[in-house]
Formats: sequence, structure tokens, C-alpha cells
Amino acid sequence: MSIAGEILANAIPGSIALVYPALGELVSERAGVINLGTEGAMLAGALGGIATSIGTGNVWLGVVVAVLCGAATGSVHATAVVLRRANQLASGLVVWFLALGVTSVLGASDNGQVVSLLGAVAVPGLSSIPVVGPVLFDQNLLVYLGYVLVPATWWFIHYTRGGLVLRATGERPAVVFAGGHKPLRVRFLAVCAGSAIAGLGGAQLALGIVGNWSNGMTNGYGFVAVAVVIFARWNPFGVLLGSYVFGVALAISSVVQAHGIATNQYLLDALPYCVTVVVLVAVSSVGRSNAPESQRDALSETS
Amino acid sequence: MTSERLVLTRSRAWDVARSAHRAVSWTRVGIVAGAYVLCLVAFAAFAAWRGANPLTLIPTMLQSSLLEPSALAQTLLRAVPIGFAALAVAVPARAGLVNVGGEGQLIIGAVAGAGVGIAVGAHVPGVVGVLLTVTAGTLAGGLWAAISGMLKVAFGAAESVTTLLMNFIANDIMLFLIYQPWKDPNGSGQPQSRPLAASIRLQPLLGTGVTLAVVLLVVVTVGLWFVIRRTGWGFALRVVGGNPMAAMRNGLPTRRLSLSAMTVGGALAGLGGVLNLIGVEGQLRPDLTATFGYVGFLACFLGRNDPIRVALAAILFSAIALSGNGMQISEGLDGSIVNVLLGAIVLTMLTVGRRTKEALT
Repeated sequence: MSIAGEILANAIPGSIALVYPALGELVSERAGVINLGTEGAMLAGALGGIATSIGTGNVWLGVVVAVLCGAATGSVHATAVVLRRANQLASGLVVWFLALGVTSVLGASDNGQVVSLLGAVAVPGLSSIPVVGPVLFDQNLLVYLGYVLVPATWWFIHYTRGGLVLRATGERPAVVFAGGHKPLRVRFLAVCAGSAIAGLGGAQLALGIVGNWSNGMTNGYGFVAVAVVIFARWNPFGVLLGSYVFGVALAISSVVQAHGIATNQYLLDALPYCVTVVVLVAVSSVGRSNAPESQRDALSETS
Repeated sequence: MTSERLVLTRSRAWDVARSAHRAVSWTRVGIVAGAYVLCLVAFAAFAAWRGANPLTLIPTMLQSSLLEPSALAQTLLRAVPIGFAALAVAVPARAGLVNVGGEGQLIIGAVAGAGVGIAVGAHVPGVVGVLLTVTAGTLAGGLWAAISGMLKVAFGAAESVTTLLMNFIANDIMLFLIYQPWKDPNGSGQPQSRPLAASIRLQPLLGTGVTLAVVLLVVVTVGLWFVIRRTGWGFALRVVGGNPMAAMRNGLPTRRLSLSAMTVGGALAGLGGVLNLIGVEGQLRPDLTATFGYVGFLACFLGRNDPIRVALAAILFSAIALSGNGMQISEGLDGSIVNVLLGAIVLTMLTVGRRTKEALT
């Protein structure tokens, strides 16, 4: 396989580790809450997944615990932001710091212990498609779940009753209230659900890619997720594309280095962020943003 | 309206304002104080659960951050980047702008300072070298933040998001430089920049352990307090932040004011970054800022945008961050546990403190 092909292939697992937190962020932002605590939810998911796998030897139990840990982390942000009307950006950072501290302390005993990674499962038929088959369909099950979750989220948001209420809560909470729903409850649940999905991203990172725990191992994925959602203009399919762009940028260095070529990939690493800034500027200057309306207030709270 | 009635109205308004100010609810004070105590107790319980002695915990933390002279000096030195990053949030906040980019502005300040510092080396007298380095860092931080400011005033791009994204770009720029062009050939393969000449490094003042950087933080804090409260620019920022429409209708140059607030904020963080470089670090390395920018954001929050309170919050957070060393050494806990305390304090403030204005049924 050519180097380019190898990069495109290696980018898949990392991209999926980014798809989860970005989808989670999208759900939360669609309800009008920006969640910088996504990074914390991922960390909690990663540690929960690893620790459970080590403790029980069951990787899939680890994945379930990762989801629960993510949701628990999200509930802190939801409580502060939805029930106490706290500043969303500050609360998100607080949740990140809390998760960073708690996971570092609780994970101290799991440091350096290696767990067996989730095995790759070839999809019969699809994996024998030339070129793309082995790349896309010879991955672990969490990657496939990521594939499914993207259209599922899109369908949920656009074509279900619940999705309509979610979107409306992000745009005009008062209308949702008038329609007989409870916008605060919707927001609370959306933040928790989004963080639970981010926890899955932590599981994919810890159990699907890395295979051990180290402090702060998510390394900014949760913040990248925020960027991806903007890049995607709050569309789940855009999230898939955006995550892949970031994933490719992250994969280039490791692949090129594996071929013995000394590189300095850091300027390349900055490129996706630059692209996201450009997209944000383009979207804002057109004056018609897809950003949920009530999120605008949240982004300009100074106290 | 006759002048007599006007005076009457005014004095009534004054009375109302004063009585509102005087009406401190002691129940409320009790609740808030109780919440902070609970927050400390919860932290001690968490530490105890992980094997620390809850009785020696607080003394250990105080010992390793405030009580020993050398520890206190470390706390004050570390308060410099955190404090400047926090002030960098406070100034734009006056104009209603959210600067989440302290981290990146600290980094860019340090990078520009390192670039100039390495270039001039020991060719110029120490004072000139320091001045050039500090100026470069301050300007770079200001320009870096001005990018986000420009994108805001010209295109309406949310500055809270662009500043956050720019943090990662800044970090990648620094990593690019220290992995290749500026790499230290004597660094035994470690990714770090060439060290600055000793003449550019700040020396401890009169055997106190603190450098001029700490003095500068105090001076700038007080200066900002004055500028924000007592100058036309400070007042104009508050008007823009409080009611942009009113500011515009009154002929204030709102865009220029927003941009200037953002630039000054970035310059402050850039200054903090370069002072941290020449005062403590001496060379660029990965994790140079170690989340100081984000801690600064929270410090600004705890200090509610008032420069003096913000600087005090920064010193508190610096002390908390340093107390991690003590907990690691004497209590055998992971040093990151201090992030729990830091988060818990701000979470307490966020949930118990006053609510924000956002209206929601």
C-alpha cells in the first residue's frame, strides 16, 4: 500500500475516537449547551473502560462502564449549567479539571497496565471489497458502532419527535415550554447523553487504540470535538468528515515516521484548526449560521 | 420636572441603591461559606479515601505552597503566568468579550520572547536584552489575540471559539519550533529550544527568591484597576460591554474598543508568557504553560473580572497547584489531585454564587 493509502487507512480508528465526542458535543449544542467538559467525559470514559477491563477481564463491560462514566461526568456540567445557570464555558473547564484530577488519582494504580485491545472483526463480504474493504470493514466493533451512530444521530435529530424537541430547545426554549415540554429537562438529558457518547470515544481511544492508561491521555480530543462540530456546521455527517480530516492530520506523522522519514508534523497538525477557524469565519460572515440560537448567548457570557 | 423634584427623585434613587447595597443576607453568607467548607471537606474525604491522612492534608498543602519561604516564592513566581492570563480574560470581559485563549497567548508570548532572546543572545547588555525580549512577547501576545478580535469585529466570528482554537495553533507552532529550527543541540534529544543567555534571565531580588516579574504583576494589576475604573477607555469598555447598542448610539467606536480590549488582553497574557520564560523556564519546552491559561480563565471567574480580586484568585490557584508537590511527596497521592480542589472551588462558586442573566422559562 502506498504511504498515502496507509495514512488514509490508519486515520480511521483515531477519527472514530473523535467522532464520538464530536457527536456528543453536537447533541449537547443542539440543545443549546456548549460542553467543554467533553474532554473530561472522554477521560472518565477512558479510565472507566481500562479499569473495568483490567478488573473484570471483560472489555465490553469496560465499554459499558465508559458510557456510564461519561454520563456521570456530564451530569456535573448539566447540574451546574442547567439547574444553576452557571457560565457554560467556565463550567466546562471546571468539569475538565475535575475529571483530570479524579482520573489521575484513581488511575494511578492502573498506570502502565496493558489490556488486550478490542479485536478487529472483518465484516463478511464488505471487507473483501478491493482497496476500501480492508480499510473500512476490518476494524473493531466500536468503529462500526461509530459508523452507525452518525446516520442514526442525523435521523434522530431531523426525523423524530425527540429530535425536534431537542433542536427547538437549542433555538427557542420558550417555545418548547409553550409546547408542553420541559426545556430544562431536555437540556439536562442532552448534556448527559452527549457526555455518555463522549465516554464511548474515551473507550475507543483507550480500549481500541492505545491499550493502557496514562494521565490526561485524551490529550485535547474533547476540545478538538468542539472544533469539529463547528467545522461540521452542527450536521452529523459533517462531523464524520471533520473527524476524518483531523484523523488524517494526526495519522500522517506516525505513518511517515514508521517509514523512517524524519518529519516535523506540527505545522501540519495546526492545519485542521486553521481550516476550522476559516469555516467559522465564513459561516459567521454569511450571517446565516447553523449554530443553535440560544448558544449564542452562552458564548458571550462574561460573568 | 422642577429642579426640586429632580433632586428628590435622585435622592430616592440613591436611598434605594444604598439600602440594596446594605442588605446583606446573613443566611446567604452562611450558605456560601458552608458550601466552601463542604467543598474542602469533600476534597479531604476524597484524598483520605485514596490513602492520605486527612488531618495532615491541609497542613501539608499549606506547608508546600505558602508557609515555607521558598515555597511561597514558588507560589508567587507561578502566579505570574496564571495572573497575567487571568487579567487577559478580565480586560476583554469588560467589553463583553470572552477570551478563552490565555493559554495560546501565553505560549506565543514565550515563543516570541524566546525567538528574540535567542537572536540577541549575549550580544547586547542584559537590560536591553530583557527589554527587547519582554517587548517582543507582549506585542506577540497582543497581535495573536488581535486576530480573534479582528475576526470578531469584521466577520462576527465568536471570539470565545476562535481564541480556543488558536490555543492549539499556538501550541503547534511552539512544538514545530522546538522540534526542529530552534532545537537545542545540547539537549540530549529532548525537544526543547536553545536556552536563553544568562544575561536575559531574571534574577531573584535581594535574596527573596522572587523576581521582578512578581513586582510587575502587582504593578500591572493595580494599574489595570485604575485604568478600568478611572479612565475614559475603561469606562467606554464598560459601556460597550454593558450595552453595545447604547454605546453605538452614543457614538462610541465600539469595534475599535472591542479590538483594543482584546489586544490589550492578549498583550497581558503575552507578557505573562515571556516573564515566565525569562523568569522561571529559561527555554521553551512542551507543556511550558501546563494549562496556566485555562487556570487563569477560572481565576478571572473567581475574581469576577475585578483586577485585584482576579490577581488574588490567581495566587490562590497558584498555591493550590503547587501544593500538589507536597501531596505527592508526603501523602503519596498523584499531584494532579490539586485539579480536583481547583475544580471544586470554582464549581462551588458557579453553583452557589449568583446566577447569570440568561433567561429561560
